[in-house]
Order: sequence, then structure tokens, then C-alpha cells
Amino acid sequence: MRTALETLIRSLSPGAAIIIAFAIVSAVALVAWPIPSRPGLEMWIFSPEHRLLYAPALDDRRDHDEPNVNLRVIGIPALKRRMMSGFFAGLQTADLIEVERQMAGQAFTGPLESVGFVDLTDRLASEGLLDQINTPSFGPWSSRDRIFGLPHDVHPVLLAYRADIVEAAGIDLSTVKTWADFRRVMRPLMVDHDKDGKPDRYLLGLWETDGDRFETLLLQAGGGFFDADERLAMDTETNARVLAELISWCVGPDRIAADVPDFTAAGNKLKIDGYAIAYIMPDWMCNIWRLQLPQLAGKVKVMPLPAWEPGGRRTSVWGGTMVGIPKTSQRVDEAWELAKDLYFSDVIARELYTRNDIVTPIKTYWDDPMFDQPDEYFGGQAKGRLYVEQAPLIPARTSSPYAKLALDRFRDAAVAVAEWARKNGTFDASALVPRCRDELARAETAVRRQMERNVFLEGAE
Amino acid sequence: MSGRAREQGSFAAYMLAAPFLGVFLLFVVVPLARAGVLALMQTYGPQDSRFVMLRNFTSLVQDPLFWRAVGNTLVFTAASVFIQLPLALGLAMLLNRPGLRGRGAYRLIFFSPQLMGLVFVAMLASIIFEKRSGLLNQALHAAFGTSLDFPWLQTFVMPTLIITTLWMYVGFNMVYFLAALQNVDQTLVEAASIDGAGPWARFVNVTLPAIRPVASFVVLLSIIGSVQLFELPYVMLNATAGPANRGLTIVMYLYQSGFETGDLGYASAIGWVLALMLVGFAAIQLRLARSEAKA
Repeated sequence: MRTALETLIRSLSPGAAIIIAFAIVSAVALVAWPIPSRPGLEMWIFSPEHRLLYAPALDDRRDHDEPNVNLRVIGIPALKRRMMSGFFAGLQTADLIEVERQMAGQAFTGPLESVGFVDLTDRLASEGLLDQINTPSFGPWSSRDRIFGLPHDVHPVLLAYRADIVEAAGIDLSTVKTWADFRRVMRPLMVDHDKDGKPDRYLLGLWETDGDRFETLLLQAGGGFFDADERLAMDTETNARVLAELISWCVGPDRIAADVPDFTAAGNKLKIDGYAIAYIMPDWMCNIWRLQLPQLAGKVKVMPLPAWEPGGRRTSVWGGTMVGIPKTSQRVDEAWELAKDLYFSDVIARELYTRNDIVTPIKTYWDDPMFDQPDEYFGGQAKGRLYVEQAPLIPARTSSPYAKLALDRFRDAAVAVAEWARKNGTFDASALVPRCRDELARAETAVRRQMERNVFLEGAE
Repeated sequence: MSGRAREQGSFAAYMLAAPFLGVFLLFVVVPLARAGVLALMQTYGPQDSRFVMLRNFTSLVQDPLFWRAVGNTLVFTAASVFIQLPLALGLAMLLNRPGLRGRGAYRLIFFSPQLMGLVFVAMLASIIFEKRSGLLNQALHAAFGTSLDFPWLQTFVMPTLIITTLWMYVGFNMVYFLAALQNVDQTLVEAASIDGAGPWARFVNVTLPAIRPVASFVVLLSIIGSVQLFELPYVMLNATAGPANRGLTIVMYLYQSGFETGDLGYASAIGWVLALMLVGFAAIQLRLARSEAKA
């Protein structure tokens, strides 16, 4: 042994010996160096708006000598990667993380005990908080009857329309109760002034590739991709009927819908030009319009969504955010107190609406007079009240980790039906239903194949 | 050399190679081995993993989406080899003409899309191919009165991707071909001319054999790059695979499986199939190159 060590030392040049000495010393220092414990609480959020929203409350905590909160705004892809890699490896991430719906779903892929977030069900029940929050808003944050996050919002959906165009044409939208009414009453707006054989404008901003909007309208009709027990249910009569109707809006010479993408300069230009009259409008989208489309101030109004059948639901739901506590947090109780401070604060609930147009899920705040204030952007309507009235009526959703996959396959089905309709000249909704059943069955098979491969969810279906 | 000196020399050699070997072991060999094991497992992080043996691979064989991804990738690869490279070679030959003025400027112009980076090119292309307000539809509408609603990025996803890569890579590959053409022995070309060979005969019998080593390298590089296609459709199609998965490639499916669905085992299996495909392409290419060299 000694001979080998001597050989080693003797064979080294002075330079190599110095390099090795440095390597050994730095490696030992690295291992031995104590990792400083983080002062205060760490919270990750993805929305810069939320930083502004929470800043006063966090300053207030500092004034009262409560644990300092280090708030980090991280872009959604980076946040998702950091969170999931922390969950995968069981490493410390943050004490609180705000996540949006599809990110959260992925955290529920494994066995229940391996979900990276702390189960909040018993805390919510024992502290009497369950009743204070809009019940359907827990849906995306629950898995296998356990709740893993506090909902940040409700996100009810209304129909926004170009009031300047509609009112100039003398159309009375108060008579519109169903989608059939909408089509009939608004049809005169599809005029062809330039005589190119095509209407200059369409009634609805919607296209067969708009998976999110299609899902929103499916949920409104009582459809969706999963049933209340999180069982896959894509190939259903309701889904086929709604899909057929939506495709009939997008294809053929009498189509009423046009492709007007959100969040793009091209889409915004079409909105300003009035290329489509009405749009599916969740509460969070109001603020985006306000910021990106100031030219439409005073020209837009909202109304409850037309129902699928007389007396049916006049709203739906689109998007969502929660706050959860990672299990690796070393300060779960303090994090829980902070979550409650932020999510149950009346000041923040008020700011949430006045800054971001978002309705709080805390039901007791829904009586606040701020929701009755006229909104100049929306033609002086008490827009907040319209959203609040629909908030308890939003459809329930599930948190399946396969929601994104189901949405992707549903979008494929919608595109396939639309192309088949164009190719065969079949534009009537009732004639499209059998084709929709075929495509939905194919989509369901594809998702089921993936789900059945997940050995951790066996028995969950 | 004495025994001790030889001993010192070999030890020093190992010491010199050690940093590379350490990095190679840590960042190549270990992850490869880990990916091999992972492909046989279903995982949810290191805490939750179960051996499913070859189940990931059998699922892959029965997965229509995987085959769709393979089909799309092969179409794109074929377009790269059979459209992009001949265009690059043609362009190089035009620029290699004797007495051409401003050769450097042309070279820079054709090469310049490379300077922008793939993501930026993808963003530009998605704006150009946009419905209604897109530059292409507006230009076609102005020139021929075609519909502004022509759905390039919806119905013609693969042609759109191929056109975009043509713009980006024709100039890049042209530089390789131009360098090779400039090294072709002109005395052979002149001798062929004197013997009565026409332009096509000179190209096939003199130029092409002379640039074959470079052409083989460019073909291999193109195939590898095409099989790994990801960023372009990812950016152009807004992080989706496009309508009806028309822009789904193997690497995109790997990404979706591993990082969107969270199925790391399945993603590893896709990765191994991709690696085998690349090895297969490289082997075929090498064999062809060797047999041609022998001939």
C-alpha cells in the first residue's frame, strides 16, 4: 500500500501535485461547507401581477416581525421544471408555489402519497375554510378526493361582444338565451359589403384548432373529458353533439365562426377590425383585452354565455391557479398561515378584481360593492357583478394528469371532423354527430392507452 | 527508458486523460446507462419507479402517435436530403462559376439566415405563414387574388417546415459544397472538356467524385439534424404538434412524453429508438461511402 502511494507521489510533477491538492481541498470544502438555512419563507409565483398584488401584505408582515417572505417570479416553463424536478428528486423547492391548472395536473401523476404537495383537506375542514370557498373551484386541485391547493380564482366565462357594432345594427341581445338564438339574432351582422362572396365579419371568434375554447363550451354543456370520478369519458353523446355543433359553426358556406387567435398581433388586429363580433371571455381575459386592445375601450360589453338548451347553464370555466405547499418545505405550518393570509385577505381579493379583473373564490367577498362599479372599458357595465353572478354556477372540473393529453387528442378529433366535413360537403350538425362519435372514440382509445400504461394509477379509474 | 520512467510516463498519461475521462464518464456514460435502465421502468421520480421490462417498447410499437412522429420525421429528413442538399449544391456551383463578381457578397447573403438562430427564424416564419395577416398570404392575395385564409400552418405543416429550413440551411450547406468545389482539380475538368465531355458528363464523372467525401459528410449531418428536429415546429406551432399532429416529430414526442405527460421511462424508450435510428443511418451512409470509394 505504502509502495503504491510512494509511487503515486513520486510520479507526479509539481504542477500535477498542485492541481490534485487543490481538487482535494476544494472537494472537501464543498462537502463540509454547511448549507445555510434559508431565512424566512420562499414563495414561487409565475405572474408578475401577483407580485404587485401581494407586495402590501408582505410589507405588512415585515412590519409585524413575521417571517420574511422571499417572493420569486419565475416563468411558467422554468417554474414547472424546477417544481417537477424537485418533486421527482425529493429536494427542497419553495415553501409555497403558485401553479396553473395544467402544471398542477402533472404533479398528480404518481401514487397519492407521492404527490409533491401537502394534503390540505384536513386543515381546510378543521378550520372551517371549505365552506368559505366556491366548491367547484377546488376541482382542479383535488386528486382522489384529497385537496392539494387553495384556489386563487374562479374564472367564470361570459360572452364578450362588440357592442358598438351590435347596437348600431339595432340588435337586442336580451332576447338571446341559447346558442340557437345567438345564431338567429346575430346573423344579419354577417354582411358582404365588398361583394367578394364572403361575409366581412363573423359572429364568433372560434376555430376547430381552439382546444381551450372548445373544452370551455363542452364543460358548459355538461360534457368534458373526465367524469366526476376522474374516469375517462370522451366518447359521450353530449361531447359528440357539442363537437358537431361547434364544427358546424366553423365549416361550410354558412359558417358563423372565424379564426381569431388570442395573444397575437394578428389576432388583435382582427379583433380591432371587428372581424368577429363575439368572443368566449373568462374574467382573466378582460384585463388582457384592456391592456392589449385599448382601442376597444367602451366598444365591448359582456353577457352570460348563451345556453345549449333553454334554461341551461349560462357560464363555463377556463384556466385556474392555486397555491400549494411542497412536502419538502421545512416550515409547512408557517407556509399554511402565509397562504391563508394571502388567499383569504379581503384587501387582496379586492385588488385581484380591481387590478386584474379576476373574481375571488372566497364567497363572502362577493357582496363587495366594487363588483357593482361601472366599468368604462366594458361600456359602463357592472361587469364584475355579471361575473360574480355566474361564479357559483361554473361546471366542475377534475385534476387528471391526463387532462392535457385528452385536450390534445380532442383537438385532433375536432380537426379531423372539420376536414372530413369540408371534404364531403357535410355541414349540418346532426349529420356530423356520427363522425364525431368515431373521432371521439379514437381519441378516447389513444388517451386510455396512455393511462393504462401508468402502473401508479392502476385502480384509480 | 528505465522501468521507473516508463511507469511515470504511463501514469502521467492517465492523469492527463483523467479530466476528460471523468467528465465523459459522468455526463455521457452514466446518463446513457441510466437512460437504458429508465427505458425498462415506469417512473415518477426516483422514489417511485417500477420495472416494466419491455412494456415501454411494446407500447411504442403499438402507438400510432409514435409512428406518426416517425413518418413526419422521415418525410422531413427525405426533404432535407433530396431537396435541400441538391439546391445547396446547385447554388454552390452557380457561385463557383469563374469570373463571377461579388461572390463574397452572395455567399454572405445566402449564409445570413444562419446568423439569426433557429428560434428567431421560426418566429419570423410563423408570422410569414399566418392566416389573413401573414406576409405570404397577403402577397399571394395581391398577386393572384387567392384567399387570405389559406391555412399554411394548419393544413400544410410539413411543407411549411421544409420551406423554412430551406431558407435557413441551403446557404449553410452551400458553404461546404463551395469549399469542396473550389478544391476540385481543374486540370481534370479541362482534360474531360478536351475529351469532349459535356457539362453534365463533367459534373457526374469529375466534379461529383471529387466532392464525394464532403457530400457524404453533409448528407450525414443533414440526416442527423433532421432526425433531431424539435425547436422549429415547437416554436412555429406554439408548443404543440400542430393540428392532427402534422408537425409531430420523434424528438417532440419524446419531449411531450417525458416533460408534459411525465412519463420518463417511455421518453427514454423513444430516445433509444431514436439513437438506434441515427446509428442505422450513419452505418448505411458509411457503408455506401466505403463501397463507392472501393468502386
